[in-house]
Amino acid sequence: MSAAPDIIAAVPRASGRTLQRGVLGMVLFVLAWEGVARGFQLPAYTLPAVSDILASIYAKRAILFTAAGFTLTEAVVGYVIGALIGVGLAVIITLVPLTRGVLLPAATAINSVPVVAYSPLILLWFGIGMPSKFVMVALAVSFTVFLSTLAGFDRVDRRSVDLLRSFGAGRLAILWRLRLPTALPLMAAGLRVSTVRSIIVAIVTEMLGAYGGLGWVIYQAVLQIDFVQVWGAIFVASAASLAFFGLIGFAERRIIFWK
Amino acid sequence: MSAAPLVHPASGPGVPSSWAEFAAGRLVRFARGLAVLVAVFAAWEALVILFAIRPYYVPRPTAIFAALLQTPAPYIQGFLRTLSETLIGFISGALFGVGMGLLFFRARALRELVFPIFIVSQTIPVIAFGALVVLWFGNTLLAKAAIAFYLTFFPVTVNTLLGLESVDPRQEALLRSFGASPGQLMRRLQFPTALPQIFVALRLASSLALVGAIVGEWFGDTVGLGVLLLQGMYTENVVSIWATLLVSALLGTGFYSAVAFAERVLVFWGAEQ
Repeated sequence: MSAAPDIIAAVPRASGRTLQRGVLGMVLFVLAWEGVARGFQLPAYTLPAVSDILASIYAKRAILFTAAGFTLTEAVVGYVIGALIGVGLAVIITLVPLTRGVLLPAATAINSVPVVAYSPLILLWFGIGMPSKFVMVALAVSFTVFLSTLAGFDRVDRRSVDLLRSFGAGRLAILWRLRLPTALPLMAAGLRVSTVRSIIVAIVTEMLGAYGGLGWVIYQAVLQIDFVQVWGAIFVASAASLAFFGLIGFAERRIIFWK
Repeated sequence: MSAAPLVHPASGPGVPSSWAEFAAGRLVRFARGLAVLVAVFAAWEALVILFAIRPYYVPRPTAIFAALLQTPAPYIQGFLRTLSETLIGFISGALFGVGMGLLFFRARALRELVFPIFIVSQTIPVIAFGALVVLWFGNTLLAKAAIAFYLTFFPVTVNTLLGLESVDPRQEALLRSFGASPGQLMRRLQFPTALPQIFVALRLASSLALVGAIVGEWFGDTVGLGVLLLQGMYTENVVSIWATLLVSALLGTGFYSAVAFAERVLVFWGAEQ
């Protein structure tokens, strides 16, 4: 489970031609969608036209943007907590190797249950307000970040460690000067994969119980059989995920310049 | 990796000399795993009693097992139901993913057209999509399998493509100089080279497919592990939630191990990890 497929690696280098084709593909896709929905006059519960969805998003922008802000807050706070826990655990294991035998099996055991299955329990424990979403997102993010960070720390060349040690560097110095820079690319991959997941987990948890947010909006819309609204919320959620993903990717390129 | 598929596993170093030895090693590892599990449950029980943790938060493991044994029927039914949803979605998603990977590998233009759409499709929160899928397919087993499928196919496509592209061009040129047809090239070189990468995705997808099946059940159903979780939440029956979590862990771990086992059998020349 540690090696999440790296989506970015599969994307062809953004040369002018591939970018053109990508945009062309999207435009064709949207046109085909619009054509099918309009041409066959599909009812909204089967497939509403893209233009109708966009119009609905504009009409209900106040509700949707408030909800998106709600969900993004939950996702980002949970993401930060989860990332800190994940990196922290990996640092503890590296500094005190004895803890590896306890922490690693414990984390694996917790992770053997699909993370969304915890949400009923977390909702009972922490209530249906924001804290339960922080916990769920942190839970989902921390494991991925923990594994990728640990893999990064372990990837260090044994001889480099010995060399630094022969200069009298302690564990902490080796961690800071050698292990951390080596681990950063892998850490960043884990952090990047976790962005989309954090928003999805926040939305999933909101659907089971919340005072607001995109998941709540979607659930209400399903109950009211308002499928244009469901699609609108899906579009907004997708845009929010892409923005978060892009932000972390941008930060990664700025920080890890040596990759 | 060079020509590695030609090496028979039994001739490699570190392979047990007989099947009996191999089986014995297996048994020892299994026994050790079981012992660790028992120790964890014992520690859990002791901690709950020691700190007098209210069962509302964390019940004692013995209470959970008692609940499981008292009314095993819904858990067994839920296990089987969720398992079949997961399996159908996983297998169809894996086949579709490998197929798309091969197609994108052969037709670069198609890949550049369609791939961005695939990526955007993966940012859609699956649960929102689930509401639509359940509406399209009705509240059937197929709807849940469709959600599992949707979560499975993308990582498989990505890794198939990456694996196929990692083939050494010199090996390709060599085979071609012997007159290998494109089909032979695929069967004997490209696909075997991609297989380790594909299995990395399959292992990830095995847990994703289970998530898809469980979440899919939240849109209303009567049988399944997701249903049991929801019922436990609405009736505030924490023991039942924990029991379902244990059963889900069993299902998830079992499925993951099955995929990992298939990997060891099929990729016998050893995956690069």
